[in-house]
Amino acid sequence: MRGLDLDDLNDGAVAAASKLGADDAVALSARGADSMIRFANNSVSVVNRVEEAELTVYLAKDKRRAIASTSNLDRAAVKKFVGDLYASLKGLPESEYVPLPDRAVKYAPSRLSYDRKLEDLDDELPGLAKSAIESALSSGGKRSAGVINAGKGTISILTSNGTVGTDSRTAITLNIRSFAEKEASGHGLSCASSLAGFDPEEAGRRAGEGAKKMKDASEPEAGKYQVLLSPTVASNLVETVAGAASAFSVDAGTSYLAEKVGKKVAAPGFSLTDHGVAEGGLGGRVFDDEGVRTRSNKVIDGGVLRGYLHNLTTAKKWKTQSTGNAGFVQPHAWNLEVGKGDSTYEEMVKEMKRGIILTSNWYTRFNNYRTGEFSTVPRDGAYLVEGGKVVKSLKGMRAGDDLQRLFSSVTLLSKQREWIQWWEVDTPTFCPWILVDGVNITRAYG
Amino acid sequence: MKTEQAKDLAASAVNRALGAGASYAEARVQSTWERQFVLKNGEPQPSFFAEGYGIGIRVISGGALGFAATNDMSRGAVNEIARKAVRLAKASAGVLKKPIVLDGSKPAKKTWAPPEKERVENADATWLRKVLLDIEGRIADGRAGVNLPGRLLFLGAELELRHYVNSDGARVDGRLPRVGFFGSLTGAEGGAMAQRFIQQGETGGLEVVRRVKLVEKVEEEAKVMGKILRTASKSPTDTLDVVLSPELSGIAAHESVGHPQEADRVLGREGAQAGESYLKAESLGRKIGSLEANVSDDPTLVNSNGFVPVDDEGVEAKKRFLIKDGIINEFLQNRTTAKEFGLSSNGAARSVAFDREPIIRMSNTFVEPGDYSTEELLKEVRHGVFFKTFTEWNIDDKRLNQRYVALEAYLIEQGELKGLVKSPVLEITTPKLWGSVKARSKHMEFEAAVCGKGDPQQGAPVWTGGPETLLAGIKLGAR
Repeated sequence: MRGLDLDDLNDGAVAAASKLGADDAVALSARGADSMIRFANNSVSVVNRVEEAELTVYLAKDKRRAIASTSNLDRAAVKKFVGDLYASLKGLPESEYVPLPDRAVKYAPSRLSYDRKLEDLDDELPGLAKSAIESALSSGGKRSAGVINAGKGTISILTSNGTVGTDSRTAITLNIRSFAEKEASGHGLSCASSLAGFDPEEAGRRAGEGAKKMKDASEPEAGKYQVLLSPTVASNLVETVAGAASAFSVDAGTSYLAEKVGKKVAAPGFSLTDHGVAEGGLGGRVFDDEGVRTRSNKVIDGGVLRGYLHNLTTAKKWKTQSTGNAGFVQPHAWNLEVGKGDSTYEEMVKEMKRGIILTSNWYTRFNNYRTGEFSTVPRDGAYLVEGGKVVKSLKGMRAGDDLQRLFSSVTLLSKQREWIQWWEVDTPTFCPWILVDGVNITRAYG
Repeated sequence: MKTEQAKDLAASAVNRALGAGASYAEARVQSTWERQFVLKNGEPQPSFFAEGYGIGIRVISGGALGFAATNDMSRGAVNEIARKAVRLAKASAGVLKKPIVLDGSKPAKKTWAPPEKERVENADATWLRKVLLDIEGRIADGRAGVNLPGRLLFLGAELELRHYVNSDGARVDGRLPRVGFFGSLTGAEGGAMAQRFIQQGETGGLEVVRRVKLVEKVEEEAKVMGKILRTASKSPTDTLDVVLSPELSGIAAHESVGHPQEADRVLGREGAQAGESYLKAESLGRKIGSLEANVSDDPTLVNSNGFVPVDDEGVEAKKRFLIKDGIINEFLQNRTTAKEFGLSSNGAARSVAFDREPIIRMSNTFVEPGDYSTEELLKEVRHGVFFKTFTEWNIDDKRLNQRYVALEAYLIEQGELKGLVKSPVLEITTPKLWGSVKARSKHMEFEAAVCGKGDPQQGAPVWTGGPETLLAGIKLGAR
């Protein structure tokens, strides 16, 4: 996208909308360049490079609202695009409408999560992949599969009320899975917003060691267990809590947090905060889609639900202020942080009388989002603990619970936290190890 | 984007990649057009539309695979990204243990489109809204006999246009219109709650809404939810017979047959994401089920949600018989995996957008029909449970240990359907499930779904389906 000026693009779109008579207009233009290397069986399977730009426009006229996106960014095409969108408003019904904020804001970019070294890492990716693979091999994994993603993204906003700003992010993530004999596998992640924070050797080591430990895994007895959730597993479940905290989910009947503001929804030691921008955070930006400044919102504090995540529309309905989490339609989290505890990993294991350590999971599915009932499938390293000691490796199980009960049964959290973002966790989450009582573990009946 | 311009750019990209040292090159120009409308508890949400296009270029250079994409459709940018794909592939040679080699599949030269009576481009917000208001009018305010405090209804229409060329001589142009619906209904009565997600979709024009009887179907689902909330009793949890509806037969076929028989998973390529497979390359010919276990995947079904007559490697797609009479018969193959197996591709490579590489995907995966009428099949059951619809489901990443929790389920006694039972759980291994198939009905139905795979993720539209399938001697659980 050489020569593409995001500010010019926004100017053209908002000017066209204003000329047509729109009550509100927002132009969000984004440009990204992402590189990826994937490997399997210790060999590269594909390298990827994607360079894209897109314009998203929101228009409102007489309480009728529409959103559209296009990748045809030619000046004349943008003018026609805005014209077509404006014309489409006439056929729409009135909808819940809240005007954009009157006060224009000029946003300076956050520099908390940007590393110029990640702007073009194409030539380094094979070497980084190789170091992860070799680390896994030397730690006991015989063959590894994985992916490194590295990229930068820039987004600019202009609203018809004069709010303007640009923000940029870089991120690099590695997801590596190693396999030893038979089905034994281990998992490692490294997720960072800077190259200095990226550690492929450590992720490879965890995957390789995990695979080695799983060689003689057996199925557990079904029943209730203490379960120690790794940051990877805990982040997967925490992301569903954040989804339930979106006011849109509450309205749509898909949130177990409905009617619970001000009430206990977790153990006293559990806190969850969403940050628009965060030191080391892999996501987020300084403004949301409606031009509202993003901020840090305590979703759960001391186990009590403090409030929902809002955009302007949901905030009006709930008689509160936007929390800076728009989505024009659905408010959503940017960077999640689970409050840390005061235990080490070793201390948490010692606390387990009869429990299971889960290091990775996938396929979390809900029986009912309104009640929060779900199950998830552990994979890779899983270990039975008896009397505070790991006694064997486990496979072939499923963990089921409801979110309210699970997070109300948290007994310990670790001091150590990690950033997690991978195939099973979209929203970057800074998360500790979490020990939970009474989780239901099942296995196939036959 | 004009067709001639797309063809010119694709040809230029392939030539540029070959000129830069690629031994193979392909280019796909893909445009998308989408209209969507949403009602949340009857309230219209902002309407949404999207349009875009771009080019994806895939090359083999030095035995390594490179993929690059851009939506800057200037000739200079396209040529630059083609060169970049070659350069990146070459640069990865230090981590390459096994060169990528393609099979010798015949390159397709074809223009294709599914039947479309009312052009999908006529789906404006007014039409989309009217359909959703028809549904809302039948289920809101207790009109379907149930209190539904949560109603989220999406209706979308989309069109994909593809132009594909490769250096082996394939030339393919496809037009893929599709209409899809997603609904989330949350019912609450007397302190009990239930939730149902409904997905419907087919390729074709606006007639899809009538063809799938969308409005009537959602209304019926709402009515049933009321009965479940009011009358469902405790489910038995002993060992009994289970009848899977077409919906349950379909999800089981998709999850525990289609996925583990994707050859890229068998060979380990998806190991870090969607996982591998309990099957190995040498599993072809292994017995996995009873003689009644017959499962296929067919991308050529007209009107289907997974209609892909020519795949995204320029190979004509065909029906694949995955399990035949209980035997693992065939894997889903692309040109790379087919070469490793010493076979020919069966046209299973799909990409959902210009900026995604083609990977092995299912299309329409289903249990083959049997000879029984539904009534005859139920008569075979002395004591059992009929799983009609499901909510929660999941499966491990080897595709061996799966779980399906029913929403609508009935007790069967002496061959007759009795009352509704609450949330029976089928948690079972793949060999046990397919080894227990005793009979199949001839009544076929299909459901729309979006199948997730790949990194970056690619949600591919598919159908899942089948007849009523009778499983004998199954231990049930309950939520």
